[in-house]
Amino acid sequence: MRKELEAQFAVQLHDAVVCVEKTDQRTIFIDVKREAIRRAARIVTDAGGRYMCGVGYDNIARDGTLGMVHTFSMDQNDYFICIRTKVSAIDPVMESITPDLPSAGWSEREFMDMLGMQFTNHPKPKRLVLADDWPAGIYPLRKEVPYDLVPPGAEDVAYQLDEAPPGTRVVPIGPFHPSLHEPEHFAVYVDGETIKGCDYRGFMTHRGIEKLCQTQVSYNEVPFIAERICGICGSVHATAFSQAVESAGGIKIPRRAEYIRTLMLEIERIHSHLLWLGVAGHLIGFDTVFMQAWRVREQLMWLCERLTGNRKTYGMVLIGGVRRDITSAIADDIRAVVKKIEEELRVIHRAIEKDSSIHKRTKGVGTITKEEAIAWGLIGPVARARGVDVDARRDHPYAAYNDMKFDVPVLTDCDVWSTLVVRVLETYEAIRIIHQVLDKMPSGEIFVELKDKIPALRHAITTVEAPRGESTHYVITGEDNRPDRWRVRAPTYTNLQAVPLMLLNEQFGDFPIIMGSIDPCFSCTDRVAVIDLQSGKARSMTRRELEFLSREQLHRP
Amino acid sequence: MLRNLCKRMFKRSVWVYHCNTGACNGCDIEILNILTPYYDVERFGIKLVASPRHADAMLISGAVTRPTLPLVKRAYEAIPSPKLVFAIGSCASGGGAWFDSYNVTGGVDKVLPVNYYIPGCPSRPEAILFGVALALGLVEKEAAPIELKQVEFPIDMYERNEAWKKRNDIYELLK
Repeated sequence: MRKELEAQFAVQLHDAVVCVEKTDQRTIFIDVKREAIRRAARIVTDAGGRYMCGVGYDNIARDGTLGMVHTFSMDQNDYFICIRTKVSAIDPVMESITPDLPSAGWSEREFMDMLGMQFTNHPKPKRLVLADDWPAGIYPLRKEVPYDLVPPGAEDVAYQLDEAPPGTRVVPIGPFHPSLHEPEHFAVYVDGETIKGCDYRGFMTHRGIEKLCQTQVSYNEVPFIAERICGICGSVHATAFSQAVESAGGIKIPRRAEYIRTLMLEIERIHSHLLWLGVAGHLIGFDTVFMQAWRVREQLMWLCERLTGNRKTYGMVLIGGVRRDITSAIADDIRAVVKKIEEELRVIHRAIEKDSSIHKRTKGVGTITKEEAIAWGLIGPVARARGVDVDARRDHPYAAYNDMKFDVPVLTDCDVWSTLVVRVLETYEAIRIIHQVLDKMPSGEIFVELKDKIPALRHAITTVEAPRGESTHYVITGEDNRPDRWRVRAPTYTNLQAVPLMLLNEQFGDFPIIMGSIDPCFSCTDRVAVIDLQSGKARSMTRRELEFLSREQLHRP
Repeated sequence: MLRNLCKRMFKRSVWVYHCNTGACNGCDIEILNILTPYYDVERFGIKLVASPRHADAMLISGAVTRPTLPLVKRAYEAIPSPKLVFAIGSCASGGGAWFDSYNVTGGVDKVLPVNYYIPGCPSRPEAILFGVALALGLVEKEAAPIELKQVEFPIDMYERNEAWKKRNDIYELLK
């Protein structure tokens, strides 16, 4: 397979391929000239590659270039392909791959903002990450820009939303909107009650974490900052970052530490799925599910506090291992708690399984086909509910997942209901994995001391299956005991791009639950809502109205 | 003074408006968590409302980022006076780890007058409950006993050696 692909590259691109480098068991880096980037991406996609993310990096100080990496995952054969290219900083223009691969749209827009790259033929070359009043020409991820540079703001600079399709009205949602819980702005174009389109202005929680970690802190602190990318899937980011650095530096961590990481990741998955179940119930007006799911979840939060000292943001994962051991007493505690959660979840599951009101609100809502899901590169429960069998725990096993036996639930209903069922079934699988981890956990060290410095300028990519889908971290190691470039691609980053497609031709009252069905986590996505008063024709809708409308949907025929 | 005013102004139920200005979700979930059966904030008459126009108090989580800065000001202005502002979590209290990053303005106190700070990363639900109850005069303020407080920073190795040497010097002199 890999040989075939390399042969394809040689035949189709000839001398545009600069070199092929294989760093570890599962990563291939292919350097191509910038003219060939789109053709190279097409070859990988035709071979079955799933687009993960784009990574732009500043290399001006070394050779006066800006680098761009397009990363792909070969899910069937367990390896990653990274197509690297570089353009000179004076003329940073390359061809966009978005016309072929819609899921690359945001990655390219991000580096237009952050590094000043230009992509020809990009279908929507608008600002994505930076604030609207950020002056043009200052690119925060370039090395010469200090991390704390705050250019003066300007008033009345509004984001230019897309033109509304003819015959539609705009309903602005957010930024401060209770069905979102995080500041993001959606302009929904409606014709009567039917959604005809949607534009998104987000990245309002962009905090500049990547820049901060590339300039200010050392490897020791980054895992803890990584945990604070997201309050729900913190361990995922810390584990992914640590794995990337370990992979780049060739560090082998003790097996017991890998088991403890697996345990924390699965505990996080249970808590996140229960949380989602509650929020989903709340969004469709079924508050009993909200209360019950969160009541069940609360025991897990207490368990985490006994385990790690904090209810969330555990601070367990470090480069080289974990910080706290699991004693046999605490192992029994974990077993008892997850057993109780399983029993109580089964009660909730039975209650919602045949509930006609939930069926009415979720079945046949937010439908997209399997082909569309593959084209947009959907991941996580959202993809698995559309019949796409993808799970990083099984496809690219990390930590101790190669020792675990678990099923990956895949449904083919393609709607919100099946995402709900997939998440509930995954919770049972997570509980199964926790029991296996505790039974099989080997004894030994939990941390390995790093004797040598981590070598500089090594590239590494890892994925970790977060509760929402796979999180991809790309690390380029640096000289000053800190990463030179660290790119985080959270699952919502991919899934959110397909939301306009899910919303198309749906009822407006279903907006909250369709939006909720991808379990959006904007803080991960942004590492970064008020009503748009600029456009006079817009009518603002309060949450109460929307919630009312959402609940009214219950009684529709 | 503020507490007496609060006692008078917010005698009955306080409705709070939750506003995320760039948090990581951690504090937001704990705020939602206080609605759920174990903490059940509604027994104190505190209710989470959707619109700032209905609210008496504002719970703000997260460091204020550049795009949300004008928005949070507008949300604050929409709350009818008298109003209280709670900064929840380390990021809202002081800006967190990214207080001076390029897209972050800082803690909430850079933007709005904050009445109460609730620390924690994320704040525990008990802490949020206690903070709101304290503001309403439902509980008395508690200070940690002296012996639990860390009075001075631990002296590092070099200084300790230095101090030891100096002490010995004194003994030498005394001889």
